[in-house]
Amino acid sequence: MIDMALGVIPQLIKNLFSRPMTVAFPHEAIPIPEGYRGEHAYDVDRCTGCTLCARVCPNRAIEMVEAPEERREAYPKTYPQIDLGKCCFCGLCQDICPSGAMTMTQNVFLSTNDRSTVLRSPFGKT
Amino acid sequence: MAKGRRAADGYDLYFGPVHPGSGNFGVKLTVEGERVVAARADPGYLHRGFEKLMEYRTPMQNAVLSDRLCILESLNWNLVHAEAVDRLCGTEIPERAKTIRVILAELSRIQSHIIWYGVLSKALGFDTGFKVAFGYRDYVLDLFEFVTGGRVYPAGYICPGGVRRDIPEGTKRRIVELLAKLERMIREFEAYDSKTIAVRCRGIGVLELDDALRLGATGPVLRASGLSADVRRDAPYEIYDDLDFEIPVREEGDAFARSIIRRREIEESIRIVRQALGRLTAEPLPPVKPKTAGKLPEGEVYVRNEIARGEAAVYLRSVGESHPYRCKIRGPDLLHMIPVLEHLLVGAEVADVPAIYWSLNICPADMDR
Repeated sequence: MIDMALGVIPQLIKNLFSRPMTVAFPHEAIPIPEGYRGEHAYDVDRCTGCTLCARVCPNRAIEMVEAPEERREAYPKTYPQIDLGKCCFCGLCQDICPSGAMTMTQNVFLSTNDRSTVLRSPFGKT
Repeated sequence: MAKGRRAADGYDLYFGPVHPGSGNFGVKLTVEGERVVAARADPGYLHRGFEKLMEYRTPMQNAVLSDRLCILESLNWNLVHAEAVDRLCGTEIPERAKTIRVILAELSRIQSHIIWYGVLSKALGFDTGFKVAFGYRDYVLDLFEFVTGGRVYPAGYICPGGVRRDIPEGTKRRIVELLAKLERMIREFEAYDSKTIAVRCRGIGVLELDDALRLGATGPVLRASGLSADVRRDAPYEIYDDLDFEIPVREEGDAFARSIIRRREIEESIRIVRQALGRLTAEPLPPVKPKTAGKLPEGEVYVRNEIARGEAAVYLRSVGESHPYRCKIRGPDLLHMIPVLEHLLVGAEVADVPAIYWSLNICPADMDR
């Protein structure tokens, strides 16, 4: 029993001088690798409205919607609206997109208390 | 308390589903004094209906879904599903993709065994073991994040046709560094053993080989009872027949033997990953693009793999549509968590219940599906 109690002393001394394993978030953060599947970045001007992303989505989180009335002339097709509440961040939409309009970013800070903000309109905030 | 009382000398004790160490699963114990006289498993808290969901999705979408079959070893489940679809479609997988699949499946096995060590330690009241194990697990998760883009859910990284994208530059070096850390971890685990896990686990929850076979145990639980059975060697898949590794076997069948087996398996998995890294060829691997059109050929397949918990299998039947007509998933834990656990708990001391429970390394997610 005594040897067990004494056995911790070298560990204690080592830990006194070793750096903490954690970082002081939010002042510093662990870098997120490049291929991370975070929030989507969608560029409506590159989108061809092909609907592949909506069809490949395993959670049916993407709905093709029309542009608002005043922009319908410039954007006559339907465009993907992402429901982040349904999204599982698998990245299939990014992989299937033929024009590179849908990509995934490293943004993971998506928590919200307002359910209406989880809908990402293809035309930004309306 | 009065409600649960059965008789003057016996009472019912609920272990789970809200017990910190039980997972989304419970066991109803009938206890007399300190001894369990009957145990009844209480499953169903994590049923998500994967088999039905998979009938309405294409194989690529199902690959993403297969992550969730067992949260603790999603890449292994990815592999079982991907192999079933590949065999049904007769797809040839590039050698590099096969090697990447094996490396990630083995790292997933290691990661799952680390979780098991942590939770067993926690169940035994040995918090240091839990923290050390989960600390090391994060190193493996860092690698998964680097390669697949997600820490716990790889989103079907191992998918029908190969892997969703090639491993990024620098992965090999990171894996070598990770393996060195994992070897240090095993030494730490061994140092803890004599005063913690051995004391609490030796001689309890003994599963005789006859009972193990009768109740359908597979994987480490069966191997700890004395039968050397492993799908990776008995029916090799991917590149396992070219690799040199041992199947650890113990005769005792108790909770301690099961814990030793898993630690030895981590060592063997490290060996496998090292060999597979040596076989990684340099030519780049084209990413597998998801498809929305395309039909599965008619037919049926049954594919089994060795995952961390035992034998996992996927049965797929197709009638020529884009979705499988039927998908049956065989997880190792249904039999470990119901017949084996009920059998082992009868006659055990109440204090030994968590040790027996976690020595089986159970996962409610793949049992309830």
